[in-house]
Amino acid sequence: MKLAAYIRSTFGGRKLATIGLIWLCLVALAAIFAPLLAPFDPYEIDPVARLSEPGLPYLFGTDHFGRDTFSRAIYGARMTVVIGAGSVIVALLTGGLIGMLSAYFPRLGAVLMRGIDVLMAFPALLLALVLITLLERSVVNTVLVIGIVYATTTARILFGMTLKLKGEVFVDAAICSGAGHGSILFRHILPNLISPLLVQASFIFAFAQLQAAALDFLGLGLPAEVASWGNMLSEERIYVTRAPWLLIYPGVLIILSVFSMNLVGDAMRDAIDPRFKDDIAGV
Amino acid sequence: MLVYTAKRLLTLIPTLLAASILVFLFIHLIPGDPAAILLGDSATPEEIAALSAEMGFDQPLPVQYALWLGNVLQGDFGTSVFFGEPVLTVIGRGAETSILLATMTMVWIVVFGIPIGVLSASYQGRWVDQVTSGGAMLFASVPTFWLGLYLILIFSVWLGWFPSSGFPSLADEGGVTNLRYLLLPSLTLAAPNAALIVRLVRASMLDVAREDHVRTARAKGLHPATVAVRHIFRNALIAVAAAFGFTFAALVSEAVVTETVFSLPGIGRLVVQSILRRDYPVIQGVILVIVVLYTLINLAVDLAYARLDPRVSLK
Repeated sequence: MKLAAYIRSTFGGRKLATIGLIWLCLVALAAIFAPLLAPFDPYEIDPVARLSEPGLPYLFGTDHFGRDTFSRAIYGARMTVVIGAGSVIVALLTGGLIGMLSAYFPRLGAVLMRGIDVLMAFPALLLALVLITLLERSVVNTVLVIGIVYATTTARILFGMTLKLKGEVFVDAAICSGAGHGSILFRHILPNLISPLLVQASFIFAFAQLQAAALDFLGLGLPAEVASWGNMLSEERIYVTRAPWLLIYPGVLIILSVFSMNLVGDAMRDAIDPRFKDDIAGV
Repeated sequence: MLVYTAKRLLTLIPTLLAASILVFLFIHLIPGDPAAILLGDSATPEEIAALSAEMGFDQPLPVQYALWLGNVLQGDFGTSVFFGEPVLTVIGRGAETSILLATMTMVWIVVFGIPIGVLSASYQGRWVDQVTSGGAMLFASVPTFWLGLYLILIFSVWLGWFPSSGFPSLADEGGVTNLRYLLLPSLTLAAPNAALIVRLVRASMLDVAREDHVRTARAKGLHPATVAVRHIFRNALIAVAAAFGFTFAALVSEAVVTETVFSLPGIGRLVVQSILRRDYPVIQGVILVIVVLYTLINLAVDLAYARLDPRVSLK
């Protein structure tokens, strides 16, 4: 019931953000039930039906291999969820832990946060490109690379917030009652960081989609055979004059999902504890 | 101010050194003999052995790093595997396109981003605000290359108004009119960044509008437009100036994609092609140059910030 109350207080009266949340739920459902929803095999090649126009039986038409664009779009939702959720987990776990530990243990922090500074001297996509050059193209590596890029900003934000919380009276009280470092960090400080972390997660999810699509487009992201919205754009772009619709569907799906995630993030940020308002990124 | 600037420059040195170590290690993290990697696939064993000896690849890593850094500081970034020319020459060729593209993009960001942001803040909560803020967020959600592809399709292929790709130098035939090649790319690159500036201008204007000096200005009967421009906008610009470093990083990242879409002979496309060609010396060189540039810009932004906002004390 707490979740329902949270959703009501965050999204109540915000029509656009509510629509965004509903859209994201639909994407998640499409990802889970892709094999049931897709009318065709997204990888089945049909040379006779290549580049057919949208209609029946191919709702969104077919690509230059004759694969059904609609089925590929549905399977692409899986990659959207995997990339988004994966990057968020990597970024929050590594970045969050580095930020919290650095703020709590100042000596350790002096070292770790300098390391973060160095990584932040590389613009985001460039850092991703450097890392991807060292690794093979795979789903896991794409997630890792994007996650690491956003771990840097997450570490900085959590560093500031943990520092603020560390000075609060309830932390002193916990110390006085004999709580250990682990207990203070994870049972007293962390619960206060949950809502800003959620906001951060929503923005990382949105940015990760754009970064992943950009990497796919450059031919340095997911393996070419994986059905993702970024790969669909990347593979079909040379056919844009003959079949302009091929780029419309995946493009609009990416835009809708990123836009929705940004709206949801905005709504969550506005509902957040005012103490942290200045710290949250994602203008 | 001068002392402060000098101090800040000194603190940059450890960061830059650490970044240079990362860039240096990059070659060594790639599996294989670094000399063979630097020379590319066509190198003979003799050439590899010669370069190995020259670069000291048989020496311990710290010694190699010192040698490499010494070369870099003298402007020797190595030789491109693909072009067979010094890396700095290869980078220099892309500089004109990238600098012009960045400049035009900044012009669009200022011309569109700031006035729309002001408009949005002035009509807070009304339909003008809803349309402009919603539109800004929508543009920030569009993949750059997708926008670029459709701009090419509409304005180059269908309407034939602009060239779809490439960029001849301003020194070539056509002179300044060659800038038309950069119109679509710069608009593509500007769209998501201008959108962020709109949101930033709006947010910081609304922040400033809550302050006491604004209430005083209103109370003494100043015209609302005067209050908006002289008391709110001027202060709000400080936050916008502070975001310039962030905008630069975003421009660099998205220029990689935009230059690829429009086949512009700039530094961004050079990075991608070098990665695909396994031309590691060029990748190393470009990244080093961009990191140094980015760090210096961030410093300049911090210094400008301190200048613009007297409340920020220089310690």
